[in-house]
Amino acid sequence: MRINPYNNVKYQWAVYVVFFIFLACIPTIVGDDVFLLNQLSTYGVYGILALSLSLCWGFGGILNLGQGIAFGLGSYGMAMTMQLQSQDILEDRIPPFMLNNAVETLPAIWEPFWNAGAGISLALIVPTLFCLIFGGLMFWGRVSGPFFAIMTLAMLSAFYTIFIDLQYLTNGVNGITPPMALEVGPYLVDPYSSVSFWVVFVALLLCTVVAKLITQSKFGLIVQAQKNDPERTRFLGYNVALYETIIYAFSGFIAAIAGCCFAMLTQYVSPGQFDVGFSISMVIWVAIGGRASLLWGMLGAFMVQGAQSYLGDQFLSTWLLILGFFFILVVRFLPGGLAGLVEVILGYFSSNSSGTKGSNSEPKRVD
Amino acid sequence: MAGMLELKNLNKNFDAVHVINDFSLEVFENSLCCLVGPNGAGKTTTLDLITGRQAPSSGKIILNGVDITGKAEQAICRLGIGRKFQIPAIFRELSVEQNLAVAHSIEINPIKNIFSFSSKNYKTKMDEIADKVGLSHRLPEMAGNLSHGEIQWLEIGMLLMQDAPLLLLDEPVAGMTEGEVSKTVDILNELKKIKTLIVVEHDMGFVRRIADVVTVMHMGSLLAKGSIEQIEKNQEVRNVYLGTEDE
Repeated sequence: MRINPYNNVKYQWAVYVVFFIFLACIPTIVGDDVFLLNQLSTYGVYGILALSLSLCWGFGGILNLGQGIAFGLGSYGMAMTMQLQSQDILEDRIPPFMLNNAVETLPAIWEPFWNAGAGISLALIVPTLFCLIFGGLMFWGRVSGPFFAIMTLAMLSAFYTIFIDLQYLTNGVNGITPPMALEVGPYLVDPYSSVSFWVVFVALLLCTVVAKLITQSKFGLIVQAQKNDPERTRFLGYNVALYETIIYAFSGFIAAIAGCCFAMLTQYVSPGQFDVGFSISMVIWVAIGGRASLLWGMLGAFMVQGAQSYLGDQFLSTWLLILGFFFILVVRFLPGGLAGLVEVILGYFSSNSSGTKGSNSEPKRVD
Repeated sequence: MAGMLELKNLNKNFDAVHVINDFSLEVFENSLCCLVGPNGAGKTTTLDLITGRQAPSSGKIILNGVDITGKAEQAICRLGIGRKFQIPAIFRELSVEQNLAVAHSIEINPIKNIFSFSSKNYKTKMDEIADKVGLSHRLPEMAGNLSHGEIQWLEIGMLLMQDAPLLLLDEPVAGMTEGEVSKTVDILNELKKIKTLIVVEHDMGFVRRIADVVTVMHMGSLLAKGSIEQIEKNQEVRNVYLGTEDE
């Protein structure tokens, strides 16, 4: 029996290697245009986000419309860290926006962020912990499918409102704009330099490798199994809720990493990170790219965001209509996204060529 | 000697409807007990109660001396009960091999499973079981592409990978061709040497070929119990099956 090379794990890894080599060449290609490099680094952040969503949704079957929660919490944590790096712990303790809000002592919740290590750790731990608790509550109650999606959406809106309301902590709609770039020890991670590009590159690479390994582990197999038939999985003795919670929390952890990178690159966070539209657009990236494939989820993010940056300027709000049109096309004719198209094409060629391929297969969803 | 599985005075009501009515049953080790009865007799509900899919309104379920009444599905499963569903439940988007790998549920700790990449330690077992249920040549196939009979066998194979000593099979030959039924009979007769089985079935021809003990249910209670010969002679059973009520 012939196996579609698309499903061959060795080929998949080879494609990932090529993909990352290509990404690694970007600073050389771009050269001195630091603004473009910064923009491309931001796409890398979107790539990490797409990766987190395809892990949770495409792979685990958990549609999460509130990925912005983990992303936003992560980015705020990072921004708070950077903000305090530009303050002085003795002389100049209070960020300017707080002074404008007549805050006289630094709120206790900000204190741990004096230390960059503690701050960044919190920026990653808090969202992950949130996902563990929220996911645990939902999945143990067997909330799944569209109901879970609605819960995440509601939660996201709640965060959006809370972050606007807590003006004295978050500067409300204006958000936090740390005046200085992130300092790591003696080094400055200048967002407009190749240093920050490499930080994002390494983050994307590590997240991808770990996520890909997870999909290939026994854990990944069980996660896929529960997506197919949670009841059967339960009757084989697995605690489905626990597996769902872990994959959801891990996805949240990756989104928090994306959030940290985003704050580092833009030196700006606002409740816009919790914007419902933004979280939905993540779903669109992944759906267009192909949610069952980690790589195509990322490519989907690059394509849609890239198109938005360049076409969005020309078409203004018509752009949203164009995006919506493509989304409908994909959902109707390419449920597997562009990845599904690639799979079909490869399958067509491999069934026409003679000789058998390797049998180390990892079937993907093409429905 | 107490049975491996004991059901004591089980009752199950859905609102005002009594689905299971004071039903008791004892199943002994390494035997095959067939649970028969007309539609709506409560056979599948009984399996639901045993496996924890539903909690009984009253009564006790005891497995090897341990009270398992009302425990969660996965907990009961871990105590050694495997279940095949009436509508075959397999992972359609996974390959046959992956289906069997998932069913190998010795290690259920998700953290440990994240670091597990090799199927080496259960490869032999998997091949043996695939051979037993006749799917050796289908291992890389997507399970959704299997024929109906093959899907039923795959599910039985998954129960074997799970390694539960007590297997509950809900209509394992529904919709099978005569050849497939014969093969299933062989598989089950082989299995009952090492496992305890409860099989829910309509088809008396099939029951005759596999059963050690037959339990007849009617309107949620025990109607008759005995060997297949005794059951076939039983007038009450004949009335239920052939008389006023139709199948």
